[in-house]
Amino acid sequence: MRRLFLLALVLLSACRPKTGEPLEAEVRFVPEHPTVGKAEICIEVDPRLELTRVEVVGDMTHAGMIPVEDEAHPAGPGLWRVDAFDFNMRGDWVLTITAYDKQGKKYVKEVRLTVP
Amino acid sequence: MRTPDLLRLPLVGRFFRWRYSRFVLQVPLLLVALLALYDGFMGRQLAPKNFATVSVWLHYRGFLVLAIAVLGNLFCAACPMMLVRGPTRFAKRFLPEFKWPRALRNKYFVIALTLFYLFAYEYWDLWASPWLTAWLILGYFGVAFVVDALFPEGTFCKYVCPLGNFNFTLSTVSPTQIAARDPEVCLRCEGKYCVNGRVETPSGRKTLKEAPNAEGLRFPGCETKLYVPQIQSNMDCTLCMNCVRACPYDNVAWKLRAPGTEAAWARYKIDVVWLGVLLFFAGFMNAFAMVPPYYQLAERLSELLGTRNEALLLSTIFVLWTGLGLFLTLGVAMLADRVSGVRASPLKAVRFWGTGFFPLAFAMWAGHYAFHFLTGWASIIPVTQQALLNLGLPVGEPDWTLAALVPENWLYPLQVGILYLGLLAASYVLFRRARERNHFLAGGIVFTYFFLLVALALWVLAQPMEMRGTLLLPQ
Ligand code: SF4
Ligand code: SF4
Repeated sequence: MRRLFLLALVLLSACRPKTGEPLEAEVRFVPEHPTVGKAEICIEVDPRLELTRVEVVGDMTHAGMIPVEDEAHPAGPGLWRVDAFDFNMRGDWVLTITAYDKQGKKYVKEVRLTVP
Repeated sequence: MRTPDLLRLPLVGRFFRWRYSRFVLQVPLLLVALLALYDGFMGRQLAPKNFATVSVWLHYRGFLVLAIAVLGNLFCAACPMMLVRGPTRFAKRFLPEFKWPRALRNKYFVIALTLFYLFAYEYWDLWASPWLTAWLILGYFGVAFVVDALFPEGTFCKYVCPLGNFNFTLSTVSPTQIAARDPEVCLRCEGKYCVNGRVETPSGRKTLKEAPNAEGLRFPGCETKLYVPQIQSNMDCTLCMNCVRACPYDNVAWKLRAPGTEAAWARYKIDVVWLGVLLFFAGFMNAFAMVPPYYQLAERLSELLGTRNEALLLSTIFVLWTGLGLFLTLGVAMLADRVSGVRASPLKAVRFWGTGFFPLAFAMWAGHYAFHFLTGWASIIPVTQQALLNLGLPVGEPDWTLAALVPENWLYPLQVGILYLGLLAASYVLFRRARERNHFLAGGIVFTYFFLLVALALWVLAQPMEMRGTLLLPQ
């Protein structure tokens, strides 16, 4: 019984949801450390990935905040850009970058940053 | 004029006299807790998109203050934690029952637990972590089980549960209260069943206290040991309605009363008053910890102390702020006492004047929770959908843009309104007390102190929000 309980605890503590294939990408901001207001987001991926769509959703780490959603446009081989992403509040942000390839396969990357 | 009694309303009285009424109220919250556990452990670890964090830190807290303002401590009535009662009754057959230590039969232990909880909330960013929120829920059920299994029923609610005691304290402003319909009937009542419980045995009616194992229809009495004809306050009342069912004379009322005024006449013990005072300062701190001046203060303190240890900095801010609050309250209460010509002890002074903090504490928490609740109210819809989708139920794609209930520019005026109402109720309490002393200047002194605290709270609420998990920015 105790073993079962321990196993359940380990399983519960190990649980992390899977949302898609991990996206190998380098993410840069202009300015480098965004402050409250608009900032550019550059997402660089392997050009062989042949992405068709890249979406960026920004959530704050507090429940109840409306997410900021934007779509990146292609800006060169393997380069996608959001021109003016709206960091509308100071605090911790979680950017979820979701990309889709020609086959409709989904790739996801999460980026955490603090907006001072 | 007779005080209106909610139990006289059609269906309401019948419902609460029904022995399963509390269970019916508890089941929905149990389901919410189970879904929060599931999504907190298994769902995406992103607070705004997880059912655990949204339901606990937004809706539970929001509905809680709303229910307290409109009706009473309904969340204790519907508390799913008390569903551990079935398993604990079984466990009690094999376990010894201990008496809760006399030294802890007050609110000081709860005050310490509340302080620890508030520290943990900020230090571990419970609000930002679905996983920790789920552990908190699980831990809460675990502690409720252990305390309920080892100690007399009601011990957990009265002496241990920080959430319950938070509800008790805030519900002192509620517009309803349990009371005796006719005190004369109580004088003649042979068993005081509302507190002692009732059992209808084949050989007649007995109290559960004198015949705990008797066979028959059983009606437990008040677990927190409130005796209906003497109830002056909602403190310690979980609105479980045991008293309503236990009273064989149908003499218990759920009466309407003037909201926010209880503290004007109730004679709280000093530990209860400290709990009210502390909850005001803790509520202030909870809101302050979300605005830029708080982080600037932390940076300054870090330079001053030469450390970047968050636990140390957070504890220092906590201790300084609550310590300053308690110290100032003591000083102002003593000054008011001296001005009114009373030379009582400092604690007696706090006991007399500090009751004004109860409506103020409610307003502070309600103002803060109202902000979060109203900015993100509708987000419960997509997070519930997502959690159910994770369970494999076909509930449609969540719309994550659903959030605000009211336009954002209404929020601050609403918070101002809530705090002004709190100040109004507090001033009623203070001037009623000043009238007892026949010395309005004394009431005016405490009122000025309250006014300044409310002005400071309004300044905090006017600051832009900053939702940051780390106290100091990375260097
Ligand atoms: S409320 Fe009912 S049970 Fe309690 S003392 Fe009065 S008559 Fe007796
Ligand atoms: S039994 Fe006690 S706690 Fe329950 S409603 Fe009556 S007075 Fe309140």
